[in-house]
Amino acid sequence: MYRRLLPLILCLSLLAATQTGCWSSKEIEDLALYTGLALDKGELTKAEQELEDKGITYSKQNKITATIQVIPVKTTGSKDKQGGQQGTPYQNVSGTGDSLLEIFRQYSIRNERPIVGHHLKVIVISAELLKQQSIGQLMDFVLRDNDIRPSSMVFISQGRAEETMVSKRSDEVPSVHIRQMLRNRSRTSKVLSPMILSKLDALIHSKRSFALQNLVTADGETEFAGAAVVKGGTGHWVGNLNQEDTECLSWLTGKGDTGVIKAYDWDNEPMTYEMKAMKSKIKARSDGDKIRFEVSIETEGRLIETWNTSSILSSGDNTEKAAKLFEEKLKQMMEHMISKLQQDYKADVAGFGDALSIQQPRAWKKVEDHWDEVFSRARISFKYDLKITDFGSFTE
Amino acid sequence: MFTRTDDKITATQAAVFLNNTVLGAGILTLPRGVSEAVKTPDSWLSVTLGGIIVMAVVTLMVKISQQFPGKTIFQYAGRIVGRVPGAVLCLLLVLYFLILAGFEIRSLAEVTLFFLLEGTPIWAIVLPFIWAGTYLVYGGINSIARVFQIVFPISIMILMICYALSFRLFDIDNLRPVLGNGIMPVIRGLKSTVLVYSGCEVILTLVAFMQKPGQAVKTMLIGIGIPVGLYLLTVVMVIGGLSIDSVITSTWPTIDLIRSFEISGFLFERMEFPLMVIWLMQMFCNFCSFFFQASLGLSQILKLKVHPVIYMLVPVIFISAMIPKTVNEVFSLGDFIGRMGLVLFLLLPVLLSIIWLIRTKGLKQHV
Amino acid sequence: MSYIPGWAVFGQAGIALLFPLLANILYKGLYSLVGSGRAVESPGTKNANPSKGQSASQAGVDPAPAPREFSGDYAADLSYIKSTIGRNSDLHFKEFTMTRVQRQAVLIFVDGMQDDRQLNLQILQYLMNEATAESLSAQGMSGPGLPFSQLSEASDLTLFNQSVLFGHAGLLVEGLPQGLLIEPPASTDRTLGEPVSEALLRGPRLGFSEVLSVNTSILRRQGFNDQLEMISYRAGTRIQRDIVLAYMKDIVNPELLKEVETRISKLDIDFLAESGYIEQLIEDNYLSPFQQVQNTERPDRVINALLEGRIAILLDGTPFALIVPVTFSMLLQSPEDYYERWLPSSLIRMLRFAATFMALMAPALYISFISFHPGLIPTELALSIIETRQNVPFPSVIEVLILEISIEILREAGIRLPKPVGPAMGIVGGLIIGDAAVNAGIVSPFLVIVVAVTAISSFSIPMYSAGLTLRLLRFVGMGFAAFLGMFGTILFFLLICSHLTRLKSFGVPYLTPVSPFRLSDWKDLFFRSPLSLMKRRPVMMKTQNSRRKS
Repeated sequence: MYRRLLPLILCLSLLAATQTGCWSSKEIEDLALYTGLALDKGELTKAEQELEDKGITYSKQNKITATIQVIPVKTTGSKDKQGGQQGTPYQNVSGTGDSLLEIFRQYSIRNERPIVGHHLKVIVISAELLKQQSIGQLMDFVLRDNDIRPSSMVFISQGRAEETMVSKRSDEVPSVHIRQMLRNRSRTSKVLSPMILSKLDALIHSKRSFALQNLVTADGETEFAGAAVVKGGTGHWVGNLNQEDTECLSWLTGKGDTGVIKAYDWDNEPMTYEMKAMKSKIKARSDGDKIRFEVSIETEGRLIETWNTSSILSSGDNTEKAAKLFEEKLKQMMEHMISKLQQDYKADVAGFGDALSIQQPRAWKKVEDHWDEVFSRARISFKYDLKITDFGSFTE
Repeated sequence: MFTRTDDKITATQAAVFLNNTVLGAGILTLPRGVSEAVKTPDSWLSVTLGGIIVMAVVTLMVKISQQFPGKTIFQYAGRIVGRVPGAVLCLLLVLYFLILAGFEIRSLAEVTLFFLLEGTPIWAIVLPFIWAGTYLVYGGINSIARVFQIVFPISIMILMICYALSFRLFDIDNLRPVLGNGIMPVIRGLKSTVLVYSGCEVILTLVAFMQKPGQAVKTMLIGIGIPVGLYLLTVVMVIGGLSIDSVITSTWPTIDLIRSFEISGFLFERMEFPLMVIWLMQMFCNFCSFFFQASLGLSQILKLKVHPVIYMLVPVIFISAMIPKTVNEVFSLGDFIGRMGLVLFLLLPVLLSIIWLIRTKGLKQHV
Repeated sequence: MSYIPGWAVFGQAGIALLFPLLANILYKGLYSLVGSGRAVESPGTKNANPSKGQSASQAGVDPAPAPREFSGDYAADLSYIKSTIGRNSDLHFKEFTMTRVQRQAVLIFVDGMQDDRQLNLQILQYLMNEATAESLSAQGMSGPGLPFSQLSEASDLTLFNQSVLFGHAGLLVEGLPQGLLIEPPASTDRTLGEPVSEALLRGPRLGFSEVLSVNTSILRRQGFNDQLEMISYRAGTRIQRDIVLAYMKDIVNPELLKEVETRISKLDIDFLAESGYIEQLIEDNYLSPFQQVQNTERPDRVINALLEGRIAILLDGTPFALIVPVTFSMLLQSPEDYYERWLPSSLIRMLRFAATFMALMAPALYISFISFHPGLIPTELALSIIETRQNVPFPSVIEVLILEISIEILREAGIRLPKPVGPAMGIVGGLIIGDAAVNAGIVSPFLVIVVAVTAISSFSIPMYSAGLTLRLLRFVGMGFAAFLGMFGTILFFLLICSHLTRLKSFGVPYLTPVSPFRLSDWKDLFFRSPLSLMKRRPVMMKTQNSRRKS
């Protein structure tokens, strides 16, 4: 019996082996990983323009231009690399259309390798595009896709987003570069804590306003410059915060506890305060329909630089005076930021809503739906406590 | 006895068995399921409350099983409520186990297809998995319990590491305010929490296999306590890390949480890989447990040998896994199981114990 | 009813049923097909004619062909012996007359098996000149009369023949009813040396040899003790060999002893060439890739096992002793763990577990990452892998197979090569071929690392045969990974777990103490706790006497 059974089973398994194969198997080197994605207002690339002129197109509206940064570029014949010109380690591919996935698939009729998003690190959206489309629309595919990790970070660019994906230096990949620049958050609070996709998802879903890190490109170099405010209800970009506002925002939300405050002293010489610790607390109070916030900001730090050589800072009197000046400066900065948020943008990106919802859930319930409006009318009072603890390695 | 021939398991094994039966699909879906129903960050209260209720039911189940030492529910149900109603009840339970087994496999296949093997036909994932399960179940309860014992510490360890690493995203504000909308949302969430504990019914047979049934209450409470704790931790970490709004929109929130951070410079930059590994192993345990219970039940009700029953059930489970056509149907099947579980799970032990009490204490019958 | 799935699903369900059924039939078929040759499966019927000796040693043996009794007649017996084995050219018949009693006698011996000087000078001299009638009298037969330390009487002629050919000196004296066997064969033994397969840095440099009596004496010489019991058996239907069971009488579980005795007594084979034969004939499941009997050359390992309540089986003619029952963790332990201090030993032991895991899984993981889940590896690693793999024309499975198979060939070749050439071959194979293969673009450098680490890991396993198992399973794992990636790898792991939990070695679950969980035995599992903590013998062995310390 087994004599007859055995060949049968062998044949069957052979058949199975040949017919099934390894369905999902794709060699890693045959894939194109993209680490950066830039979204711009629809603007045909040169190649697309030519194709369109020849009548080669598909049904679409040119609403967005998506640029992906593919790494590494396939090097054929890596042996004689020194001879040829050193190419960039990345390749930017652009496409225009009105569906992100469709654009992505369109790349596949141009490139030899399928693109995969497992290693997407950075998404840059141009502010212009965000005026036109809501963030929810633009991020929908990215949030749904199974390849793209929710740890990807979202930025806004002042100019065209694809420019941030180009670097002057030939040995670095701009998207990775941007990602690594975030490490400097330990030195400055002018960089907001990165907005990862899963946080963005929550914000979009709850229709809150939020701030995204702004990117500006100048002369082939990309810089973190302030923040962009995205209005919750509409999901559109409404304006920017400048660098100092961004710094204040970081401090206020408790996400940043580093940075410097520079003030001018009694002799109008600059002096600089280096923050060592920063604590902020938002207290929400509601009496009836009136909502008011009390913010207390406590910071400690050292006086690290002064250009004033005539007066001794460490004498008690002067220290007090200096601290007062810094406090004054901090107050100025904060108030500037708050007024911008309340008057200009009418958007709460600083977490006042969260404070209210946690501390006064009943009051929050009532105003939840039109929070940004209520916020712009809310009274916010500040209390500062700035302490100069030391003077660096100088005693005076 | 040097060589043990009896099919008995120790107290530790029983506790691990129960734990691995209950801990499974819920790790990935529970945060969403509860949050959808609760809609406030109080989901963790629901999970705790649900856990306490389940523990009470577990105690009841153990108590009633202890009245019939060495007998499984399939054997003693008939003695309590009469042969025919008993058989019907037991068949219902078997059916429930079969649907559960199918559900577990299906959700496993869906996750695998979505995250690991895009493009592979679903049967190619389901079939080998069922076969591996068959091999294990064929070995009897002892083998199953032993495999569980291997998988259990690995799962717990890796799960803990994953959560510990995800602590960097944790923000306590996401869990506040506590009871901002009163207690009602918490009550509403109870229903979906019970689903994750479905599978507890294995206690009704498990006690019969214990070497020392006297320790059953303590053992089973530990066995159910671990998943309750882990589920609680899962909900707290996921909601704390992602906030309630993100959790509601995400299909598999726990994976999303783990995918939301990268640890550069670590051997695995991406922790979803170990998480997927232990989750798959946990699902395997889940599936084997239900498969075993179903085959045991059927063989005891119909008085058949257990091995042919196992073979018979293989295609049945496969079909029950393939019945839902879309992911949404899978989830609604999950809800259905939750409801069915609620009935079987609360009603069955309560009903049985009431009838048993009436017959023994009230009517002084000898059962 | 839109919920009823299509025909395809039912078809697949059919396959789902068919496969395990077929597998089961095949398994059972194979088992019954091969199992017929197994003594354990056919309990002692058929031509199984095992000869169980009495515990005294080397006496009372009844060989398979109908034995021919001594006739008592000197001439007839001598002519019978001459007619049966006299044609052997190396057999010498030294006929002489005992001068004191005036009887004919013959000394029969095989050339080279006896110390000639002793034979001529002492035995012959004594027999010819000094032996008296009293010393040959019937009562003095088995001993006191004759001044030989080793003397026994052969019960029948066949045994007499066999013993003489085995190397005993046989003595046939006129008027005595039976032949005498004096002077066992002089050991043509090699000097005892360090075991080759289990080298240690610290520990006795003594291994078993090929001679059973030397081996048993080595065991005895481990120390003063009156509980070490050795029982000898003789097995083999055509050529018989001595087997010795060694155990501690007051420790070993009697049921285990009985089980081992039963299995040994059912050995049914014409010749036991090596203890591997016994191993394969008494193991529980011969379709399992895992060994269920441990083999060792080290007496210290054996004696430690005996003290844990295990049983050792020694076979004449091989330096490899067997230890039963065995658990998985034992395969990863080395005697050195106990000789060195506990902290480093524990670390090394854990390292070995990690190495085992790598030896088993590394190529499978490589395949699943490279071919299936590029999203699960860190970005920078992914980039460097892509760069190194760009010139490799093969999919990762083929790539891994090429390198793995060449490594296996290299290993196999390395064993066969003469000692001075071996290391050179390793260098040639490992370094040059690896480097050349990378340069030629057949494999990627990253894979070379993976394969090399795998190979090194598998060398760190103290048991050679366990390493073989892992090598075999590694390829299975690669197959699973090639089909289903990570999912397949996990499935493979679960299958191994399922298999291991079902496996038993002489009734002891293979994975004890991990599962079934025995916490007290964990002291000697992943780590080796300080000796002062190991107060008890392993619980899993269910020993009679559980305390190690008073």
